[in-house]
Amino acid sequence: MSLKAPPSPAETGGGRGGRAPRPVSRRSGLARLGPLPWIAPVILLILFVVVWPVVELIRTSFLRVSSSGKVRGSAGTDKYTKLFGETDLASVLMWTVIWTVVVVVCTMLISLALAQLFNQRFPGRTVTRWALIAPWAASVLMTAIGFKWMLNQTAGVLNTLMLDLGLIDKSEDWLGRSETAWPWMMAVAVFVSLPFTTYTLLAGLQTIPGEVYEASRIDGAGTWQTYRHITLPMLRPAFLIGLVINLINVFNSFPIIYAMTKGGPGNDTSTSMVFMYTLKETDIGESAAMSVVNFVLVVVLVLIFLKVSRWNEED
Amino acid sequence: MRNRVVATGAATLVMALGLSACGGGDEGGGEGKSKTIKVVAADYGDKASNASKIFWEKVAKDFEAANSGYKVDLQIINWNDIDKSVKNMIQTDNYPDVLQTGGYADKVADDLLYKVDDVLSPATKANIVPAFAKAGEAKGAAYGIPWVSSSRVLFYNKKVFSAAGVAKPPTTWAEVADAAKKISEKKAADTPYALPLGPEEAQGETLMWEMGNGGGYTDAAGKYTLNSAPNVETFKWLQDNLVKPGLTYPNPASTDRKTAFADFAAGKVGMMNGHPSVVKMAEDGKVEYGVAKIPGRTGPLESTLGVADWTMAFKDGKADKDAVKKFLDFTYTKKNLVAFAEMYNFMPVTTDAVAEMEANPKHASLKPFFEALPTAKFYPVNDTAWDVISAEIKKSGGKAASKDEDPKAVLDDLQKKAEDAAAAE
Amino acid sequence: MATATAARPRTTGPSPRSPKRAFRPRTLLIAALAWGLAALFLAPYLEMVITALRPREELRDRTYLPSSFEWSNFIEVWKESTLGQNLQVSLLVAGGSTLLVLLVALPAAYYTARMKYRGRKLFLLLVLVTQMFQPTALLVGLYREFYQLGMLNSIWTLIITNAAFNLAFAVWILTAYIGSIPAELEEAAMVDGTSRFGAMIRVTLPLALPGVVTALIFTFITSWNEFAMGLTLTTQPESQPLTVGINNFVGAYTVQWNYIFAASVVAIVPVVILFAFIERHVVSGLTAGSVK
Repeated sequence: MSLKAPPSPAETGGGRGGRAPRPVSRRSGLARLGPLPWIAPVILLILFVVVWPVVELIRTSFLRVSSSGKVRGSAGTDKYTKLFGETDLASVLMWTVIWTVVVVVCTMLISLALAQLFNQRFPGRTVTRWALIAPWAASVLMTAIGFKWMLNQTAGVLNTLMLDLGLIDKSEDWLGRSETAWPWMMAVAVFVSLPFTTYTLLAGLQTIPGEVYEASRIDGAGTWQTYRHITLPMLRPAFLIGLVINLINVFNSFPIIYAMTKGGPGNDTSTSMVFMYTLKETDIGESAAMSVVNFVLVVVLVLIFLKVSRWNEED
Repeated sequence: MRNRVVATGAATLVMALGLSACGGGDEGGGEGKSKTIKVVAADYGDKASNASKIFWEKVAKDFEAANSGYKVDLQIINWNDIDKSVKNMIQTDNYPDVLQTGGYADKVADDLLYKVDDVLSPATKANIVPAFAKAGEAKGAAYGIPWVSSSRVLFYNKKVFSAAGVAKPPTTWAEVADAAKKISEKKAADTPYALPLGPEEAQGETLMWEMGNGGGYTDAAGKYTLNSAPNVETFKWLQDNLVKPGLTYPNPASTDRKTAFADFAAGKVGMMNGHPSVVKMAEDGKVEYGVAKIPGRTGPLESTLGVADWTMAFKDGKADKDAVKKFLDFTYTKKNLVAFAEMYNFMPVTTDAVAEMEANPKHASLKPFFEALPTAKFYPVNDTAWDVISAEIKKSGGKAASKDEDPKAVLDDLQKKAEDAAAAE
Repeated sequence: MATATAARPRTTGPSPRSPKRAFRPRTLLIAALAWGLAALFLAPYLEMVITALRPREELRDRTYLPSSFEWSNFIEVWKESTLGQNLQVSLLVAGGSTLLVLLVALPAAYYTARMKYRGRKLFLLLVLVTQMFQPTALLVGLYREFYQLGMLNSIWTLIITNAAFNLAFAVWILTAYIGSIPAELEEAAMVDGTSRFGAMIRVTLPLALPGVVTALIFTFITSWNEFAMGLTLTTQPESQPLTVGINNFVGAYTVQWNYIFAASVVAIVPVVILFAFIERHVVSGLTAGSVK
């Protein structure tokens, strides 16, 4: 909606380097405390609600916890050894990567198109934009349950529709096999990621001044050229925000797969997040170890991304 | 420098929380035992009008009225979430006093429970049907108090059978396959035989089939034999005769029992193994159904699968032991147990309650289930590793019946996991 | 998917600011496409409404529409659950955490955008890392923490936790947004004797409104839809948010599908309305923000 050409926080920092950095004033009272009164509430809330459970999680990954939940003592690194010995781990990690890449790439591409479309003037623009919000407003869990219902073999409306259109000749159990379950779940993941991404890009588009386009037209640039050489580069900040948020969210995505297949049969449709959750049923310590691995993966993923996209580059 | 301030603040906060953690731990054991009983129980219902809460609230109210000074703190948790919630509670030393759920033995392994003798009066204990009382014994003593039970029979849709020209319910596997083929040819039902081997209840359907081939989860000595030859053959048979010819769901490993039950109650299934709750669902769906003994490879199963849910009392709960005993004795009366069983078409587990329900003509439809109960076989519920092994079977056991899987490989993998779990105990 | 996408911008996007009524047929084409997509986006939710209105015995029928619409399902679902209370919890949690996020994130974002201070980078990194955590992975720790505080089943617990997990995005967006507003305006105000806090409230906040709205709506929607923490930190049906309350229609042997979808519809509608209401403000805010 309104990430007005959002300069990333880091970029702002860089930009500020240009303006004379305003020295923290040496006055008395609050000012003496510097940033603390301003940022301490955020830090406290994060420490209290996020960091503390993270510490707890890491601790648990080195514990022997019985299936009843009782802590029986230290496990050393046994749970990590056990985790890395799981036969399904390799395929789970591979599918996690495929899932993240496919969903994020499709989301970004489709959102670019949608943002262009909904940035045009046409009758009913406001109303159609509201429709775009639905998958965002509805909880992901409910949307996923809804799709599971529509894909049901016995009575799902999507099966009925495809039968009537002659696309399939008998009702399919789409979510029962990994080969058909993955594409459907990816489609749902894209579906629920589109609104936020599209709105981010829409906001980005609206900050591009009209004169830039005029100038380009006068220069005789074609539509596609204009898009490639003017729109896309100017969209970069908004695009990057959408990309990072989607990377993190899709990688960590849990409700879609959990609601639609529970990661099964076996672990055939599990990403690392779902795998972690189902491990909880059999070994809480191992599940915690998986969470830790999962977290390391997402941090590495995002850091690599930031490096590659030169997100942090000073202007 | 300011970073340091923040870091110190964080450390202080973490320490404060750490300290309070220790404080919390002590509270559980050291504090004077109270007259407030924390009861955590499963909700079997799917809406407010059939929620288990209705039952427990009445019991609690009656109990409080009859025993002044005592209080019941109720927590009714959805059946699908209760085990996760209880694990959280145990992990944080926040024990309930009384818990009613699906299994108990893993708590015995950690020495969390009172022995039944400590929390039930001899009269109440003597009233429990012996077969169930026996299933409540783990590590040489009784810890689990059975709560409700059920047995499994074969349900078939009469209309579907007559449309397909199947004269009588199958008694052998060959007849199952034959009947399913006829149903499929005549298109009498969407799913001729419903085989739900999905994560919801794979361990039940699996055992019913394996018992039909003389197999099962453990040998006579209680050692796990998940990959025994009869078990592997069972899945091979299922693959070749039901799954591959398309006579059941295409992917049994991801089909849940709820789906099968709902399809049966909508008249879309020819036959399936079912639980007494199907009786009511089928009646609501106006499906004319019949029941029969579960077919085995060469003849019907003489002893079917019986399942019990359990009640248990935690040693480290906050309530006084005698308060817990008072409450359990109060709860385990004929009136209460019959009331609960009637809510969901379960069978009670005490002698007088069973007698009352069997004698009541209102429950004629449950007769086959009562008949099957005395000889029923149970899961190895009293093995302390069973809960983990059951979870593994639920997760991947169904794959043994999938078209493109090798049953032996799937079961071998499970057997290895079972042995690891048993060794870890 | 990719090919379709590559083609689409060409047909639709020469200039987003094309003069009004320039190409009549093209506008029609765009409108048709947009309306079609809007329908596609709404279709799954329409099916939810239809399922919610199905008579119970027609739930497993292979039909597009039931033989009759059972409007009473919507009344029954109200009676058969604690939906009213759940709705109230959800509203309080979403509203409360949104407010808390605003109170906490705005000053931090303001200061971070305006000042260079030691640990600024570290602070931003902490915020970014927070964004990478999903509460799903941290449930046990959260449960233990709030149990020890005696705050299970409390609305405050859900408000605090939801706020914390949404802080990162809010701080991030607000920092970026405020950074794009020229500091000179405030400096002028401060020369006139206004305190920095006063300048933030009176000068920057109105200009940053679109950014604030973005952060708020994001927090509101995420908290409204949160499930995992609600499930773990509350156990009494009356103190559960809507997303968790719906779960209680899944029984041990049966599922009340039409109730689930009826309740889902009840949950979705307020957010869509809220958004429709706020979007206008966002648009007007946008213009204000781009004056720069």
